[in-house]
Amino acid sequence: MREQSEKLNPHEIGTLLRGDLESIAAWLERWHARRLALHLVVIIFGAGLYGAAMGWWRDPQQALYVAIKFPLIILLTTMGNVLINGMLAPLLGLNIPLRQSFAAILMSFTIAAAILGAFSPVMAFMIWNAPPMSPQAVSGATYSLIKLVNVAIIAFAGSTGNVRLFQTLARLGGSRAVAFRVLVAWLAGNLFLGSQLSWILRPFIGAPNLPVEFFRATALHGNFYENVFQTLQQIFND
Amino acid sequence: MNEQNPIPQQIPPRIPPVATPSGVLQLGDDPAEGVPISNVVAAIDAILRHPRRVMFQLRQPNAGKLIVMMMLVSVVCSLIYGVVAGTFSGGDQLWAAPSKIAAGLMISALICLPSLYIFTCLSGSQARLVEVCGLLAGLLMLMTILLIGFAPVAWIFSQTTDSLAWMGTLHLVFWFIATIFGLRFLETRFSHSNARSHAGFHTWVIIFLLVAVQMTTALRPILGTADTFLPTEKQFFVSHWGDCLKATDNELKSKVRE
Repeated sequence: MREQSEKLNPHEIGTLLRGDLESIAAWLERWHARRLALHLVVIIFGAGLYGAAMGWWRDPQQALYVAIKFPLIILLTTMGNVLINGMLAPLLGLNIPLRQSFAAILMSFTIAAAILGAFSPVMAFMIWNAPPMSPQAVSGATYSLIKLVNVAIIAFAGSTGNVRLFQTLARLGGSRAVAFRVLVAWLAGNLFLGSQLSWILRPFIGAPNLPVEFFRATALHGNFYENVFQTLQQIFND
Repeated sequence: MNEQNPIPQQIPPRIPPVATPSGVLQLGDDPAEGVPISNVVAAIDAILRHPRRVMFQLRQPNAGKLIVMMMLVSVVCSLIYGVVAGTFSGGDQLWAAPSKIAAGLMISALICLPSLYIFTCLSGSQARLVEVCGLLAGLLMLMTILLIGFAPVAWIFSQTTDSLAWMGTLHLVFWFIATIFGLRFLETRFSHSNARSHAGFHTWVIIFLLVAVQMTTALRPILGTADTFLPTEKQFFVSHWGDCLKATDNELKSKVRE
């Protein structure tokens, strides 16, 4: 029994995707290092492959950079919010230990990454069929289509991960209202940090008139929200 | 030893298939579905006449052989159909069209396999990856068998018409009909998999159709001719088809003027 539970079992990803709450709740009760490793592998490969497909349009080097950056954002967001998320759960009525809240969030990101990984061949095929990235291509319909498909896939992956997280929390806490409160709080924190990390680690798709680089020279100048505020100011001043 | 047993051997009565409360028979309830599919002919016969037998066999532990058989049939049938498609232009297209059609179908299936598995899991189905691979192989086999059925019609038209747009449309219509039947096979299996919703499956169908249709543009020319085996310019299928239709329209106008 012990041997079986300690094996790295890729079928567990299927259980996660199906939302088999009994098994998921049991996993959260007893967390194994090998299961953690499996989830990390899925996040690194799933999100990495999708990132590579996304960055390939600009340049193979950009593909490599985005393949590193995508999983990095997920892992840094999880790690950066581990304490606050662990504290918010009991405060909002879900009395679970920090380890369980971390595991639950990691599971939701694992689901999202598995979906992203599954869609990476479709995205790669789309990029392969797109005309090379140029100022004309960026101002045309192709760029808009690629952006739109990216948004749709990432939104689908993110929402599915969160739906499963909500179901897990409702099962752990026995109340949908409590689960909803905790989920909203976690989402707010993760979105807040995740947006800033994405801002620092930009570019992802890249721009034809800018060099391929891991960080922009202005990566640590300003922040995401400041930029949104400035954009809004420009819109209203014009 | 030589004495005959005076008691006649009792044949156990056959248990009638049990239907679920919804009236749908579960896979394997019919004893005929349990008969193993041992060769290619049996596989073709089963997918056309008893698709539930294929579905049941794909659930069994030794489904690998059946999957390989179905893939083999798909490749052979798509190659044959490709030769027929290639007869429109002749020459190099006699080998280029079959290789592109067979490769295009296989690559499309490979691209869409991970998302099919994900959607199958998300819908709550207990299907394993091997079974999903088998179902996709079944979809390809049924599609390509049907294409073989259409091949004589396609060949007659390819010998009598010069219009690329017309032939392209005809092949697309045949492919579309074959795909609908293939997808129906897949959806039937989906209905037997305890899936909570078919929304994911329907989304996947759209993805599969888009990928397959785009593949025809990515591997062009399949019917016409070109200097290179693969296109030098990248295009999405909508703009490619638009260009083809414009070219045909111009051709028609110039013919009318003459």
